[in-house]
Amino acid sequence: MAYDIPEDLQEKAAIMREFGRLRAAGQPVPEELQTKHVNATNDRYATGPEPGECIPDFSLPDQEGVLRSVANLAGPNGLLLVFYRSADW
Amino acid sequence: MIEAKGLRIAAVSYDSQETLRHFAEKYRIRIALLSDRDSAVIRSFGILNTNIAPSLRAHGVPHPVEYLIAPDGLVLRKYFVANYQHRVAASSVVLREFGVVGAEAPFVNLQSGALTIVIGLSTATAFAGQEIAFFAKFALEPGWHIYGAPLPEGQTATSVTFDGPAIMRQSFELPEATPTRVDLFGETVPVHSGSFQGLGSLLLKFPLDDGRIILAGRVSFQQCSDNVCEAPEMIPFELPLTLEPFMVAPRSK
Repeated sequence: MAYDIPEDLQEKAAIMREFGRLRAAGQPVPEELQTKHVNATNDRYATGPEPGECIPDFSLPDQEGVLRSVANLAGPNGLLLVFYRSADW
Repeated sequence: MIEAKGLRIAAVSYDSQETLRHFAEKYRIRIALLSDRDSAVIRSFGILNTNIAPSLRAHGVPHPVEYLIAPDGLVLRKYFVANYQHRVAASSVVLREFGVVGAEAPFVNLQSGALTIVIGLSTATAFAGQEIAFFAKFALEPGWHIYGAPLPEGQTATSVTFDGPAIMRQSFELPEATPTRVDLFGETVPVHSGSFQGLGSLLLKFPLDDGRIILAGRVSFQQCSDNVCEAPEMIPFELPLTLEPFMVAPRSK
C-alpha cells in the first residue's frame, strides 16, 4: 500500500476517471490503480459526531417527498441512520 | 427484525427524490430514503468526501458511516469501516445491540464431551464488502471449563476462526474469563464455565461474485474438569451465505 496520496484534487480525479473508465468498459482494473483509487477516495476519512454527542438537526424529503426529521423517523428505541454513496450508481 | 426492536432505519444519499422513488419501487424498499440533493446535511455531519473534484459525478458523496441514534438525537453508537468499499450490515448492528439474528440466518450445533456450541451468522444474505457478525454460544456441563487467553504454553485457548477467500478481516471476542486456580496445572488461568456467548465480525471482500458461498470455520478449545483434562480439540464447521447482486436504480429520464 506504499503510495503517496496526491493533495491535488485534479490528480485524484485522474485516478478516479481512469478507474471508472475501466469499470464501465468491463475491463480488469490493475491492482496498482485499484490501490490508488481506494487510497485517493478514503483520504481524510471523516466519521462525524461521536457517541455521546448529538447529531445536527436535519430535515430532508424522503422518496415520497415527505419532509422527515429524527422526530418522525425514529422508533421508540431510536434510529439507524445510514449515509451511503448513491442509489443511482 | 430491526423494527421489532423499536428501531427504524433511514438512509441518506445525494440522489434526487425521483431517483430514490424509482429505487424504492423497483426493490420494494420501505425504509425512508432521504434526498440530500446539495449534500448540505452530509456537510453538516462533517462527513463529505472532500477527495472528489466538482467535475466528477461522485462529487457530494459522504464517507459511508452509520449512526445508531436515540429518539432525542444523541449518538449511541457509530459504525464505519474506513474504506469506501465496505459497510457494516444492519444485521450486525442488531446482533451486537440486541442479540438477535435475522430470519433464516444459518447456524450449526456442535457437541463434544461436556461442551455444546451453537455458531451462527447474523444474516442469511449479504453484499460483497459488508461487515456481518456471528455469534458462538457455549454451554458446559457443571464441573467443566474451557480456557480464555492468555494461557501458559501447551494449553489451548478458545477461539473461533473462519477461513476462505471471501473474508478480508475477522474478529472474535469472548466475555472476560474468570481467573481460576486449576490444581491440575498448579496455576491460575483464565477460565470460562457455564453458559456464555462470544461475538465476532466478518468483513467480506469487495468485489465478490454473487451467489451462494460456504463459509468454513473452526472452533478450537480444550475442555477440562477439576481432575481431567481432555486433549485440545478443533471442530470444523460450515455456514452458508448468499451474496446478493448489487442494486442500481433504473435510470430516470
